[in-house]
Amino acid sequence: MQFQKGNKIKVFRKSEDESWEPYMDDFIGLHGFVTDPDTSINDPDALIEVSLEGKGTHRLPQDCLEQIH
Amino acid sequence: MAEKTCPVRTTLIYLSDLIDSGSLTDPKIRRICEQILHLTEEISEGAAGNDHLLAIDSLIREYLDMKKSKETLETGNILKKIFTDNREIFQSHIETRNCPSHDCGKLAPSPCQMACPAGIDIPTYLSLIARGEDDKAIEVIRRDNPFPWVCGLICTRPCEMMCVRARIDTPVSIKFLKAFAAERAMSEGTYKNPKKKGWNGKKVCVIGAGPGGLTAAYYLALMGYGVKVIEALPVSGGMIMAGIPRYRLPREVIDREVAMIEDLGVEIAYNTLFGRDITYEELKNEGFDAFFIAIGAHKALDLGIKGEKIFPKVLEAIGFLKDVALGNHHAPGKQVVVIGGGNVAIDAARTSLRLGAKKVTIAYRRSKNQMPADIEEVEQAMEEGIEFSFLTIPREIIGKEDKITGLDCIRAELIQKEGSDRLIPVPILGKDFIIEADVVISAIGQYVDDKGMEAFSQVNWTRRGTIEVNHASMETGMTGVFAAGDAVSGPATVIEAIGGGKRAAEAIDRYLSHIPQPRMPKIPVRHHMEPSVEMTATRKMTLKHPAMPMLNVDRRRTTFQQVELGYDEESVRKEAGRCLRCDICRRCGKCIEVCRDKMGIDALQFGYMDFDHPTGTDFRVTEKKCITCGACAANCENKAMVLEEKDGRRNLKLCGTLLNSQAIQYCENCGAFLPSAEYHDFITRKTGNRVKRTETRLLCNDCLRLLSAKTNVETRPAGLK
Repeated sequence: MQFQKGNKIKVFRKSEDESWEPYMDDFIGLHGFVTDPDTSINDPDALIEVSLEGKGTHRLPQDCLEQIH
Repeated sequence: MAEKTCPVRTTLIYLSDLIDSGSLTDPKIRRICEQILHLTEEISEGAAGNDHLLAIDSLIREYLDMKKSKETLETGNILKKIFTDNREIFQSHIETRNCPSHDCGKLAPSPCQMACPAGIDIPTYLSLIARGEDDKAIEVIRRDNPFPWVCGLICTRPCEMMCVRARIDTPVSIKFLKAFAAERAMSEGTYKNPKKKGWNGKKVCVIGAGPGGLTAAYYLALMGYGVKVIEALPVSGGMIMAGIPRYRLPREVIDREVAMIEDLGVEIAYNTLFGRDITYEELKNEGFDAFFIAIGAHKALDLGIKGEKIFPKVLEAIGFLKDVALGNHHAPGKQVVVIGGGNVAIDAARTSLRLGAKKVTIAYRRSKNQMPADIEEVEQAMEEGIEFSFLTIPREIIGKEDKITGLDCIRAELIQKEGSDRLIPVPILGKDFIIEADVVISAIGQYVDDKGMEAFSQVNWTRRGTIEVNHASMETGMTGVFAAGDAVSGPATVIEAIGGGKRAAEAIDRYLSHIPQPRMPKIPVRHHMEPSVEMTATRKMTLKHPAMPMLNVDRRRTTFQQVELGYDEESVRKEAGRCLRCDICRRCGKCIEVCRDKMGIDALQFGYMDFDHPTGTDFRVTEKKCITCGACAANCENKAMVLEEKDGRRNLKLCGTLLNSQAIQYCENCGAFLPSAEYHDFITRKTGNRVKRTETRLLCNDCLRLLSAKTNVETRPAGLK
């Protein structure tokens, strides 16, 4: 998945990335928007900034996100 | 306290009012109440951990043990009673992270505030700007961000992306309004620091004078800590000074806001590289109680192509921009190729042009739509004459002796890999070409330079080369050492670094005050509700986003003068008035449902309230259909929709926007208030209560009954005219 600024997303599962912290379990199922994708090299491994409904803005690994329309 | 409201919410209101009232004159009591408030906020947000209630108990004990005046003792006893009587409810909020009555959710801030990594209360400051109260707006912004002027010029503005007004027409220009307010307040001398607390005897060392480091320094200084900032460069600002060109952010703006931080007693040691000019041991010996690492990500990634290490004119964008920022204004060459597609690539290209390069080309592997750079920056670069070579994969830097002659490239096409919807640039065989150049600037990304950080032996590093922290508290693996900004996230945004710096300052304060850390990063909280700006529905709908006045292109190509010149005052006040006040109206849609489904009127055309499928919105429609029955207002939990009676008229307003205004009528017989003629007509049609007398006279129900009775009896009832 390649995310771009403004994409509507859902946190659909727990990430397997080391950057996943226990509190992020609360985010599973939430919708939001990509506010800052990987800024320089379109790296699928980079953490991207998302604003989640009711939970504020966080940087998350991409494998837990899916784009919704 | 109100009986039906959640005790957690009422406790928050009680403590906020108590602190805001100014009645807590004893600094220790004030500090305890503020700490209890912070812990209660986290309980309300579902961000509290198991130790929160124990910490509150301990704070209340500390409060009561002080044995102060009778009044303060009474407050302590009230707090003790609140947390004893409602223990189960507080515990339930912590365990379930949910408020059963949903009262705590009523504090949920607007989408723009939620989107801001620093959690700035945007609707509040926009209302203040709309009313011309720029100094108060700056005060509100600086509760969460000590750099309103800087961010007003260069923020990536996630807030505008989430702005609900965009579902009607265009987002409110939040960023530039902030810049205007900061500039005006600075110019008028009303941009002031809040009162700082007295020194608490503790010292914190901040490594890096970038946005993250200086933000932490600002909040720590306000809390009463002694703060020393170690900075490797001869100037403050980190990436905002060294990485962002002056045509986007004038140096004076950074200097003025940094000076405000220094005014709080923050000491900045320039030209001091941690690990070389000063060591961890030396700082420990100076008596620092905590360390905050905010070193940024200043090291450029290699291109990994042939020729990169051969020619001296292969530059790293970040080093090039830093040299220019520090005063080197020589053109890098005549024909410049910048490799990359982010904001740094655009900045390097536009800077080269301003320094006198004849031709500047940006080579990017993908297409324009996939450039991570801000679209405004890309468009401005195009206006200035920067050329773009999209779908271009660099293969080799070629030249003679030590001089570059060109960049050997191959054209790419975007191919979707099997099992993925990610488009990958793949070279097209035979489609190779050369871009003539005498300078190649690499702008494909940065990483954290960990040189000198070995002293923090227990700090862990991630596989991405960033510092590992607990994001709720920004604590590293080493006790008393915190980190934030690009050093933690990798290259990210200024506002994210500011948010991280603020979070770290709060966490350092908790660490040094022995208060438990939150379980998750703080969710922005709305502490205050500014009254809405009043205007008609027509005005609200017809106010348009103003165009930004720009410097002329010739001057943009030759000087570092600020490109975006800013709005005039009239445009600013109007633009701020376009805000829909999503901090008050939560767009639950109950008003629409009640009006359409229960009353059958359908006077509220608020399509923007549907998050997933927004439809048309027109506030002006309401006036044509509304009967001012008040059902919408009665069902609005947040009092966003109100029906007020004023000057003989009944007015329906949504967050200050006048949707309808109808004359109040009076009973011709007894003078009692009556609903509007439209409502009266609606009811009589619905109930079939349309008798001859209601068609000719305006009467209240009581008088109507009495008069109708007359038709059944010969005698006129007593007292009736």
